[in-house]
Amino acid sequence: MTGQAFFVLTALADGPRHGYGIVGEVAELSQGRVKLKIGSLYGVLDRLTAGGLIEPDREEAHDGRLRRYYRLTRDGRRALAEEAELRAATARVVWARLGLTGPAATGAGG
Amino acid sequence: MSGGLGLEQRYRRVLRLLPGYYRQRWEEDMVAAFLDSWLTGDPDEDEAIVEFCKPSWAEAASVAGLAARLYLGGAAAPPRYFAWGQAIRRAVLAVTLVHALLAVNVLVFLVWSRRLVGWLPAPPASLVVAPGGVWDMVYYLVCLAWIVIFLTLALGHYRTARVLAALAIVPGLVALLQAQLTGIMPAPFGPWIFWVLVDLAPVLAMTAFHRDAPATAPGPWLLALPAGYVLVYGPLLALQVTGNFAWLPDFSGLCCILVSLACLAHVPRARSRQANGSGVWSLALVLLAAVAGAYRIVTLTDYLHDPHLINVSLAELLIVLAAVALVAPDAARAQAATPAPPPHPHAMAT
Repeated sequence: MTGQAFFVLTALADGPRHGYGIVGEVAELSQGRVKLKIGSLYGVLDRLTAGGLIEPDREEAHDGRLRRYYRLTRDGRRALAEEAELRAATARVVWARLGLTGPAATGAGG
Repeated sequence: MSGGLGLEQRYRRVLRLLPGYYRQRWEEDMVAAFLDSWLTGDPDEDEAIVEFCKPSWAEAASVAGLAARLYLGGAAAPPRYFAWGQAIRRAVLAVTLVHALLAVNVLVFLVWSRRLVGWLPAPPASLVVAPGGVWDMVYYLVCLAWIVIFLTLALGHYRTARVLAALAIVPGLVALLQAQLTGIMPAPFGPWIFWVLVDLAPVLAMTAFHRDAPATAPGPWLLALPAGYVLVYGPLLALQVTGNFAWLPDFSGLCCILVSLACLAHVPRARSRQANGSGVWSLALVLLAAVAGAYRIVTLTDYLHDPHLINVSLAELLIVLAAVALVAPDAARAQAATPAPPPHPHAMAT
């Protein structure tokens, strides 16, 4: 799973979001390191939808335009949990090899 | 917001890069998200934004990248786009194979003429390669690079292949510019067309090897390198060793002959409609024939002084046209009858 897909799924983990809502949440989650362009976002959303990991939730009118919201599917929730576990396990190995106990020990504050 | 038309229309113009089926499904969503990313909610500020602002180059590039991936379809793409994607991937592999064959041949001649393998007999004087300077060294390195590019592409290391190929075509461009500027270009158009069609175009077309592209079966391609060398350069070497240089085709003629033979070999599969995936090969052969034919036409200008060579070149052109006509109907069918595989469970989350 790419970083972009991981962040998009994570952005939807606590509830449905519309396209720009996902862009903003991904920027916040990544502390500004991942700034999705709209073309890139919909490339990811298209793949995740085709793979059954997310699905449309509802549409809401806003300033005369329809905003479509997306939510995680059960498969998407499972895939995200597996990916998070994999990344956490990798992080634990990194900390152990560096002789650290966790991200706080690096002084990153995260 | 009625005032949003200016910026919105500019963005919709960018979205026209995307295939129709995709726009039908996602355009309104993309436009809404795009406008959300610009508008502030302040009526005065928003009015200025929609009137004067336009999508950034980075935004347009993200749409162009998405369009390239969709047109050169992979898993889960509509049949037409999947067929084109597969055909271009195979055509790129074929052109890279030709590069690798050329490179192997150059390196074999180098090894032979420099007597780097003691037990080989001395080469004929006509085949001896004189020691060269820096450019020759660069040329041999580029040859080696093309062999590596072909192997990495066939083995599925697409990103490595793309980067190496982008680097490998630079010395050719520099040499062309130098020859052009110093007035020592051997022919007016041929070398440039070679660079554009055989170097640059495949590098650009390597975009087709994206994350959704189905994995290439490496076995047949890896086998094609030694087999191709024996089958193509064996006869050519025999002609050279025996002094029959008049029978040697030039590179564009060789391309026409190879594509024609490939078309003829493919005809039985193309005619048998049950052959699975034959249409994609037919489409790839049509693309390769277009490249070979275009290169042949342009290099005709190199032989304006020699009616015999013009006739030979025209014959090669006619042969490739006749051969490709045999597989063209199958290529046309492929665009409607090549279902894409479903998304790979790992690739779909990318």
